[in-house]
Amino acid sequence: MIRTIRHISLWAALAVSLAAFVYSCGTLYGIHHDNNLIRQLISGKDVVINKVISGEPELRLARAFYFKQKHRYDEALSTLSLIMDKGDRDFQAKARYNLGNLYLEQAVQQAKAMNINAAMPLAGLAKQAYRQALALNSGNWDAKYNLEVAMRLLPEMDRVDMPDDSPINQKSQLWTTVPGFPRGLP
Amino acid sequence: MRILLIMVLSLLGCSGSIDEPVSYFNVETPRPFGYVNGDEIPQRIVIETRSGITLQTGSLPAKGQINRWLNLNQVTVKQSGQRYQIDLLYQVFYAPLEVKTLTLPGFTLQLSQGEKSISQNVPAWTFTLSPLRELVVRQTEQGEYLRPDSPPPLLANTQALYGLTASLSIAALIASYLCYLYGCFPNRLRRTVFKRALRKLAGLSKADMEQALTLVHHALNSLNGQPLFANRLSDFYRRNPEYLQINSQLAWFFNYSNRYFFSDGMIVVAQDLQQLKDLCQQCRNIERGSR
Repeated sequence: MIRTIRHISLWAALAVSLAAFVYSCGTLYGIHHDNNLIRQLISGKDVVINKVISGEPELRLARAFYFKQKHRYDEALSTLSLIMDKGDRDFQAKARYNLGNLYLEQAVQQAKAMNINAAMPLAGLAKQAYRQALALNSGNWDAKYNLEVAMRLLPEMDRVDMPDDSPINQKSQLWTTVPGFPRGLP
Repeated sequence: MRILLIMVLSLLGCSGSIDEPVSYFNVETPRPFGYVNGDEIPQRIVIETRSGITLQTGSLPAKGQINRWLNLNQVTVKQSGQRYQIDLLYQVFYAPLEVKTLTLPGFTLQLSQGEKSISQNVPAWTFTLSPLRELVVRQTEQGEYLRPDSPPPLLANTQALYGLTASLSIAALIASYLCYLYGCFPNRLRRTVFKRALRKLAGLSKADMEQALTLVHHALNSLNGQPLFANRLSDFYRRNPEYLQINSQLAWFFNYSNRYFFSDGMIVVAQDLQQLKDLCQQCRNIERGSR
């Protein structure tokens, strides 16, 4: 009886470990396949979009990288925005740095074309992305450098508080803008 | 005597440290130069108070943006007894055109003793920040020089590899044990025939002589590959010449076994069992190759 139980449990353990082996093989093959897709995107070749949508965040980052290389900024932005909260700290820092680059490159282009009104918000968004990237990983020298580029493009000034801006004045202004009762027809 | 009393009193008056609410206060900061945009600056404040005085953690600067160019990323307070260690981690976001002096703002720590409140100033700290870019900006074909995108990382396969190795090793171990149980290693089994017999013999007494003899017979049969009888010992020695050296003991065994099973009135003594065990031990030594 004990012998039978021992044999059955051994066969069951063998089956479980073989199933785990097959599962690991499958996972490893999937990783290898995804890494090939990432290499393909880095080298500048597009891949089938379904694979990216159902894939890992790294794959999306690679696709955004590809779009950015091809100057397809809107598509890169929509791809990047989906993975902002995915992955570990280091991955998030990378995603934010690439997002900053995406905004900054457009801001520089707009500034070059003298579209200052379009360049300013883009530079502001770039700075925000770089700050977030540096808060996650303060050792990212590329982010430090590009943040400085963005800061020179859009210098930051300390807010000057004018006496008129005080909340008391705003409050009194609010009262004066309340319309009075209609006086009626003459 | 009076002079001595005056001296003691004046010394007590000078000391005053017994009444100080803060017995030790120090602000530890790293080098005050060589920082660049985006760097983190740690600041450690160590404060030791008299017993009964507690630090009001609410008086510490709040995590988040301090001013336009300074963020406070982390605030950690460690308390051991009356000693407080406050670690602040600032991060600077400022792009100076040349080396610029900046100041980490000071603040006031609040300590409380019952309903009484005591203040301790943490002084402002000045450091210099250096630019990363030159004044005349470098230009490339694409325009202004920018650092390129961070290349997307490849997926890590370490965990899957560990899983693969572990599951394969476990499967191989279980499979080999099952093979062993099902007798797929005849050579290996043949080399442990007497080992197993010895182990079983160890638990037997002279009352179990029948079982003991059967065990040794079974072991010899397994080694021979077929049932071994006294008249076929010469064939056995031809196939296993190393057992020839215990010829006399084996002859005794077959003779004894024959008498035990087929004669009446056989009295078993403890020495017989011991002799049987010795025979088995000798066979085991030969099997291991030590004889």
